[in-house]
Amino acid sequence: MLDFIVGKYNYWFYIILMVVGFYAIIGKRNLVKKIIGLNIFQTAIILFYVSISSKKGATLPILEHHGGHGEHAAIDVASYLNPLPHVLMLTAIVVMVATLGVALAILIKIYKRYKTLEEDEIVEFMKCEASK
Amino acid sequence: MKTLAFIVSFAMGALLFYGTLEMPEWGDPGSPASSHVSPHYITHAVEDMATPNIVTAVLGDYRGYDTMGETAVIFSAGIACIFLLKRRRKRKK
Repeated sequence: MLDFIVGKYNYWFYIILMVVGFYAIIGKRNLVKKIIGLNIFQTAIILFYVSISSKKGATLPILEHHGGHGEHAAIDVASYLNPLPHVLMLTAIVVMVATLGVALAILIKIYKRYKTLEEDEIVEFMKCEASK
Repeated sequence: MKTLAFIVSFAMGALLFYGTLEMPEWGDPGSPASSHVSPHYITHAVEDMATPNIVTAVLGDYRGYDTMGETAVIFSAGIACIFLLKRRRKRKK
């Protein structure tokens, strides 16, 4: 039972973080809070991928003793972390920043147009405009 | 509305928790994520790309076109921000 908890507790923390972000996305009315929730969600996914890549007792995926062309020392795979999730999450971080920037720019435009960031007030305003 | 959101997110959390029961343990060297493709990259990165940092080798060399497309993403996001935030000049005649 203890082995089970020790082996899996990292996933549970990411699930808690992800659920918090998801609740902020669908449950909050303020648009800024929704964007914060989106970022928490993405951060949870990034942490999840990075934790997948971990190996016990391994070091960062930067090879030591390279450059010696003569000797081909066998590289021990188990002593280096899995590099592929790190690469994918680099790409994901870049996309996250891009979406955050565009979302905040759109929020500025929404605030200039409706003078509020609460979702229900915006919807009411749009209904009033449509019925005119 | 808030209770519905809470119920939906709690259900999602419960489903994900059920999913972790089959996940490999933390730090397991023989986990599926690190046993199929990544040993090839770890062992061949220096021979193929002469870069000791495997993450850089994968990001810049193996997946170079992907990184180039990523710069297009950043560029279009920047252009979108510029067009959204650009102030229209009022001309005074």
